[in-house]
Amino acid sequence: MVTETLYMDPAGLKAIGAGIAIGLTGLGSAIAEKDIGSAAIGAMTENESLFGKGLILTVIPETIVIFGLVVAILII
Amino acid sequence: MLEVKQMNRAVIVGHKSIFRETVDALHKAKLFQIEDFNEDESGLHIGRPFDNIDEVSKKLIQIRSIANLLDIDEASSKKQDEQAVLSSLDDNLTKLDAEIDQMIDQRSKLENELKEIESLKKELIPFVNIPLDLDLYRGYEHLSVFSGSVKEDIESAVSKIISSYEIFYDAVKGTVVLFVTSDRSADVSELLAEYAFRELRVPNVSGMPSDSLSSIASKESTLLKQLEKIDTDIESVKQKYADFILASNELLSIEVQKSEAPLRIATSDSTFVIDGWVPQENYAELERIVESATNGRAFVSKEEVKEEDEKDIPIEYNNSKTTAPFQEVMDLYSRPSYKEIDPTALIFISFPLFYGMILGDMGYALFLMTVAFIIKKAISSDTVKSLMNILIYCQISAFLFGIIYGEAFGFSIASVHTEHGVTEGLIKGFETITLFASPIAGEMITYPVHRTHIVMTMIVVTVLVGLLHVNLGYIVGFINVNKKHGFSEAMFEKGSWIVVELGIILAVLGYLGMLPTIVGIAVFLIGFIMLVKGEGIKGPIELPSLVSNPLSYTRIIAVGLSSISIASTVNLIAFDMMWKPGTPIGVMTIFAILVFLLGHGLNSVLSIIAPGLHALRLQYVEFFGKFYEGGGRKYDPFGFIRKHTEE
Repeated sequence: MVTETLYMDPAGLKAIGAGIAIGLTGLGSAIAEKDIGSAAIGAMTENESLFGKGLILTVIPETIVIFGLVVAILII
Repeated sequence: MLEVKQMNRAVIVGHKSIFRETVDALHKAKLFQIEDFNEDESGLHIGRPFDNIDEVSKKLIQIRSIANLLDIDEASSKKQDEQAVLSSLDDNLTKLDAEIDQMIDQRSKLENELKEIESLKKELIPFVNIPLDLDLYRGYEHLSVFSGSVKEDIESAVSKIISSYEIFYDAVKGTVVLFVTSDRSADVSELLAEYAFRELRVPNVSGMPSDSLSSIASKESTLLKQLEKIDTDIESVKQKYADFILASNELLSIEVQKSEAPLRIATSDSTFVIDGWVPQENYAELERIVESATNGRAFVSKEEVKEEDEKDIPIEYNNSKTTAPFQEVMDLYSRPSYKEIDPTALIFISFPLFYGMILGDMGYALFLMTVAFIIKKAISSDTVKSLMNILIYCQISAFLFGIIYGEAFGFSIASVHTEHGVTEGLIKGFETITLFASPIAGEMITYPVHRTHIVMTMIVVTVLVGLLHVNLGYIVGFINVNKKHGFSEAMFEKGSWIVVELGIILAVLGYLGMLPTIVGIAVFLIGFIMLVKGEGIKGPIELPSLVSNPLSYTRIIAVGLSSISIASTVNLIAFDMMWKPGTPIGVMTIFAILVFLLGHGLNSVLSIIAPGLHALRLQYVEFFGKFYEGGGRKYDPFGFIRKHTEE
């Protein structure tokens, strides 16, 4: 008897994995940055010299998506 | 170069008879930052402003209100001679004041009249088609007049309830005027309400509405003409006096600043004591200036700076002209404190380096450099100039890396060899040269370095760059702590990190079998204990940053790749999908060029923002986090930067 088997292409699974890695970390960064960013802008309207500090705080979560990207590259 | 300017605390003491001369001399020299005096138990008091303050500030208010009325902007004007402006100040001011007052008055009168006419016009328009003198609308004893707008003709409805009436209806504007006897007015108004009647006010003029309207229109046009004339008059006054107003505003501001100086200075009945800061290199000059201004009657002395006062010392950068633009980047974060290393010269190297490593494209570098030069020429603001200088440094670096990477506008200038075959580069016949195999993932290092094909190697390279940068941060931190608190504390606080790293490296070597593993673990533990001693509980908590910080530098390749992707996508759409070079030129060629220009225009803007922000972040977070305290106060000497006048 011949059974039909559906194979999943390993390359396709890898691509999906890489996509998930980037997508989810991107979402994570975005959610974190949205809160920090709006708070930073609030602080800046009070005191403009806080721009530098606000910028730093805002970009800190960006590391998450960079890690996601590195992982994606490692997967592929 | 790596230190801010050394400051001296100086005290100037003298008799009140030379107070004014001393303040004038200090203001002119622009070297001395006055420390505000707060009254205490010493018996000294805050001084009183010089006598001319009332007069000067009155004139200043006058000139500023004139400037405001005329809407004068701070455009760069020709520099005026101080004496000439001062001698003509009073005359000009009275003349200007009278002239402008009159003009502004007249203008507001005209504007009011115009507004009245406008509203009258609005009231008249509904009645314009009703052939009835406006006087006939009012003044009846037994008649009620309804004037207003309705949706449809109501004559038939009215005729049903009353027999004697007079009605005028304008179907175009929907205006109705209805005369009925007063005793039936209640019924009529009820009826009108059913037809959505909205009452209109009868304009308070006499004559036929259409006649009034045309006379109003002609009146309006004369008013508009008059208004226009006044505006041109005001404009001509503005043209004529703009330079004078800017110059006198500046001179009076200077005068007020000087006259108010005593409010910041300690005085007794007959003496004054000015306390403040002067850069060490300018101390002798300050002494000389005060002496010559007062014939040696004021006394200048240096004071020891106590340790608790160190945080009050104003900070002035001490950088060469080349590195100075990066002071803007420093100020964006925070000025250095007095005793720490000023990292301006360090980020002068690392910021453009990272920017270049990220962008690394000759085409964008040349384009953005040209833009930066043009903006620098066109705009005279100092901040913009500094920013453009930073951008130019960054583009030089991006161009150099562009040569290494062999990229221009997302194209590779050399041929690319992949397993799918050879793709010709931008320069025909420029073959990629294979140099050696990278130890990572079997990738081949070539010239030009094709970033997109050796991603793994580039990730490792960027992490190594990160390690170097982070460790440079620890070393700078070590120097800072050593200077402030001594060697042992520096060793525990910052040196411990390096010992921990050393331990990890030795442990890895041990794992590879080159060393007994125990050596690495021992060194790591020593470092760890030092860390706990130096930084407390904060140390172990921050330990993972040893991994995460260098990994964060992988953004250098990651952001770079995204920029290449955008650029090559634009190229693909323009010169592959829409029009292939070599095929006949047609309509699609134009679209292809348009896509090419717009796409790369967008990517150029992104090429400032993305690499710029990421390179900046690597400085601020990863690098400064290791050593920088900041929080210094800006050195702001007593004086004024003249823009519109010269002495």
